[in-house]
Amino acid sequence: MPETPGILPPGRDAREVLAGLAREGGFERLYPDGPAVRIDAVLLRRLLSAADARGPQGLVLALLVQLATALPLLAQTASTPVAEKALRAALEGQALLALAATDEQAGSDLAALATRVDLTVADGEDGAVVLDGTKRWVTSATTADHALVLARHRPGRHFTSFTWLLVPLGAPGVTVRPADTDLFAASGVGHLTFTRCRLDRGHLLGRPGRGLALFARNIAVERLASAAWGTELCRRVLSETAERLAGRTIDGTPLDRNPAVRQRLAECAVRVSALDALWHASHERITGERDATAAAVLKAASGATVEHVLSACAQLWGADGFTAGGIQQLRAEAALFGIGGGATEVVLDTVADRLVPLVEGLAA
Amino acid sequence: MDARFVETLTPFLPFLHGETITEDTPLRTYGLDSMQAIELMFALEDSLGVSLPDEALVEETFATAGNLWAATRAAQGADAVTAGTESV
Repeated sequence: MPETPGILPPGRDAREVLAGLAREGGFERLYPDGPAVRIDAVLLRRLLSAADARGPQGLVLALLVQLATALPLLAQTASTPVAEKALRAALEGQALLALAATDEQAGSDLAALATRVDLTVADGEDGAVVLDGTKRWVTSATTADHALVLARHRPGRHFTSFTWLLVPLGAPGVTVRPADTDLFAASGVGHLTFTRCRLDRGHLLGRPGRGLALFARNIAVERLASAAWGTELCRRVLSETAERLAGRTIDGTPLDRNPAVRQRLAECAVRVSALDALWHASHERITGERDATAAAVLKAASGATVEHVLSACAQLWGADGFTAGGIQQLRAEAALFGIGGGATEVVLDTVADRLVPLVEGLAA
Repeated sequence: MDARFVETLTPFLPFLHGETITEDTPLRTYGLDSMQAIELMFALEDSLGVSLPDEALVEETFATAGNLWAATRAAQGADAVTAGTESV
């Protein structure tokens, strides 16, 4: 399925595309009330759809993190000269941001993360804070200018124990390593290690103790964006698979007239239609009210739908699916939808927490 | 505890089952986990128009209904003072 022309500025990596987006006034359209307030979800979906059609998938991932999560989070918290400068650069398409939440050991269990920031040093002579820890599988780690890093400033799992920091990735004490993977080209995915990384207090983002709360508010929009990407990916793959099957014949009959194939494609179409309907029904509640439950429902649904559609279509491509850059690689990358931005188990826990009001809300 | 505070708090305590909320009501026992506490904080700040200060952002604040009410009330007072100062 070809990219719709004119939606996404030219470029094969996020930095190029973001620079073009800034030149074309794309940020003003994407954040009509400012990046700290609200994102135009429909425009974001169109951008991600165009990026998905252009590929590689790593480009989509890097754009999604920058536009849906990192830039809004920075806009909500930037109150010092150093943070405001980074925000301006991002809005001018001149700075790429990484979002470093997932920890080395804790994974999706953010309350257990071990990356630690010592704020007490800030009371000393030079007003510094000191960061130690490792963040793994960070999108744009190897390409970004700054990382927004979630760290704990006190022990314990309570949500008030965490704080965001803006970390220049060239700062002393920061080590960047590319992730050992052939997947997600152009995503800049990698690992970040902070060793006695000393920063002045102006690198604190928002008030200490609000880190996890800010994450919870912003991850809802990232989950919405992820579901938009998942829907567009499924739509494209389904379309390409149907087109391929229509062009292949067995005993003179196109494969797409085989009843088993037709039903399998139809079932995929039903699932994608349901996901699309859910996305349209919930996007305003998520961008406007930051409805975490609606975002969790959507994220869980998109993970299941993408897994089903990519698996079914990959099977229908047969051995050709194993071609370099083929659908089997895409299928492996698409497993991200059940892991990144909160694993399916994590978002199902969120749904379970609000089960009764959720089910009651479905009443006619 | 005022009615608006109790009204905001109640949906976050799924195991309350109709019991009356008192100052000693332990919030975790009645179903307030850490992620729900985040939503509760935002709900209180939105509905009561306050912002909990840094010193209130500790686990103890969310331990009982009374602790949370005390922090909320203190924030209401502080915000009123700030607003008054700014209007001068």
